Amino acid sequence: MTRHPRDHLAFRRLGRGFLPYAFMALPVVYLGIFMFWPLGRQIWLSLTRTRLTNPNNSTFVGMDNYERLFASGDFYSSLGITVIYSGVVVIVGVALGMISALALNRPFPGRSVVRAVLLFGWAVPNVASALIWLWIFNERSGVLNRIVTGLGLDRMSWLTSTDLALPSVLVVTIWQVAPFVMLVMLAALQSVPEEVQEAARVDGADRLNVFRHVTLPHVMPMLQLVSLLVTVWSIRRFDIIYLMTGGGPVGSTSTLIVRLRQIAFENYDLGLASAYGVIGLILALAVAAVHATFSRRRAKGAAQ
Amino acid sequence: MISRIFSRAGWIALVVVLLVFGGFPIYWMASTALSANSELYSTGQVPWPQPGNLPQLLRDMADVPVLSWMANTLVVAVGTTVLSLLLGALAGYALSRFRFHGKGLIGFLLFMTQVVPEALIVVPLYAIFITLGLLNSLWGLVLANAAFSLPVATFIVKGAIDVIPYEIEEAAAVDNCPRMSVLTMILLPIIAPSLAAAAVMSFFSGWNEYLFAATFLMDKELWPASVGLASFIGQYETPMTAVMGTALLFSVPAIIFFLLIQRKIVAGISSGAVKG
Repeated sequence: MTRHPRDHLAFRRLGRGFLPYAFMALPVVYLGIFMFWPLGRQIWLSLTRTRLTNPNNSTFVGMDNYERLFASGDFYSSLGITVIYSGVVVIVGVALGMISALALNRPFPGRSVVRAVLLFGWAVPNVASALIWLWIFNERSGVLNRIVTGLGLDRMSWLTSTDLALPSVLVVTIWQVAPFVMLVMLAALQSVPEEVQEAARVDGADRLNVFRHVTLPHVMPMLQLVSLLVTVWSIRRFDIIYLMTGGGPVGSTSTLIVRLRQIAFENYDLGLASAYGVIGLILALAVAAVHATFSRRRAKGAAQ
Repeated sequence: MISRIFSRAGWIALVVVLLVFGGFPIYWMASTALSANSELYSTGQVPWPQPGNLPQLLRDMADVPVLSWMANTLVVAVGTTVLSLLLGALAGYALSRFRFHGKGLIGFLLFMTQVVPEALIVVPLYAIFITLGLLNSLWGLVLANAAFSLPVATFIVKGAIDVIPYEIEEAAAVDNCPRMSVLTMILLPIIAPSLAAAAVMSFFSGWNEYLFAATFLMDKELWPASVGLASFIGQYETPMTAVMGTALLFSVPAIIFFLLIQRKIVAGISSGAVKG
């Protein structure tokens, strides 16, 4: 916590008492009802046996749902799929976004047009993205299979084979994520002081070394933040996967969150579904905690 | 010299590859919309847009309730924006300018909302909406959406007010200006660019939202474009040209606004998220 330099001023003291609570009252009540009450309720549900068909009739069963969860192979497969999905999205998405940012970090005619085109994936609404890519991946009439057959290969079942469904969904997600990374990293790159890079170059550092020792450390905080956002975002991701594959074929794209939806609305087992959601939440929180530790350590290092 | 040309060629190749990957799906959406339906599944799609098919596309799209979907989407998006900004301005101001008990906790809880999967709270929200009579209503959808965009708006407002000197408010306080007016008449106009960024982010989270809309709305007349478009999936009565035309219509406002406001969004993320 940084102490504000003007804390001693009389005006600041006016701010004590009931006034801040008056300002916070509405937002807090609203979030309490529409965010934290449902969240708490869902965590509680994961400790009960509850059917979606009769949600008011629930029995407390303690850790029973979690025991069932840890005993089922479905859980480990969906946990694995979540980790692979988020891991690939963050590694490839951030790398591709960073490469795009580096490519666009030099002025050239038409740069703003190129940047605009690269941003499409991020700007297009998810449902529209799902429709476009479903059509591109369409097994019979999709453009991808026309290219593949044009090359003399067999048609591929992009979204209906267990080997290709996850990679296909990943391509779409990376198409959506990389532009966001590019946008933020482009801004970060443009804030790197020109003189420092110039000085390093004069000292004989080649391009790669300037990047590694000058540019990269400077943009590292933003890179870390963007990676955190992308990771958390892909752990909670639902619509793109659900709309493109419904979690199939045979569960090969069922992340924890997609599985939650299936168990709740197809098996009506709210207790078990909630347990899946809680594990997803814990995973996302763990990622955020790791990030917080890193950035605190870095802040400390910078202060010393 | 040779290595220089080589790296230049490599750079151009990279930009071209990125352009194709980033832009092709949008090109293909437009191209499909302007195709002849008969070609799509039989002789094969012509790989460029054929503007001559525009009248047919408009006739096909007339069978889709595009306008009512767009109107519903607009209501949800505007409602989400207004609610997020109103409450976000209050919370952002309080978090920036006051010290009070529970401030740290509130900051943490606000951050935590960004980690919560929508799918995790959808069932309890459903139960709450039944109780409050908000099920099957666009207002319920607004309340659900803003729970996720309000914290973002709060952080953006807080970040923007943090960098405004206190002296401005002190002058106002000397003149006996009430705190609420300090916020609305002095601070908010100064941070208007950040507010615009927060507004656009809220607007498009409402515009884009699918899960809540698909769960809470039963009447087809209330469907926003996201749910309407998703209903095309796996259904073959609607011609693909009309599907892509509708998707295009739904995407274009989002694309335009994101292009206009991209710098603001980056500024909001770097000021709000890094320090917040």
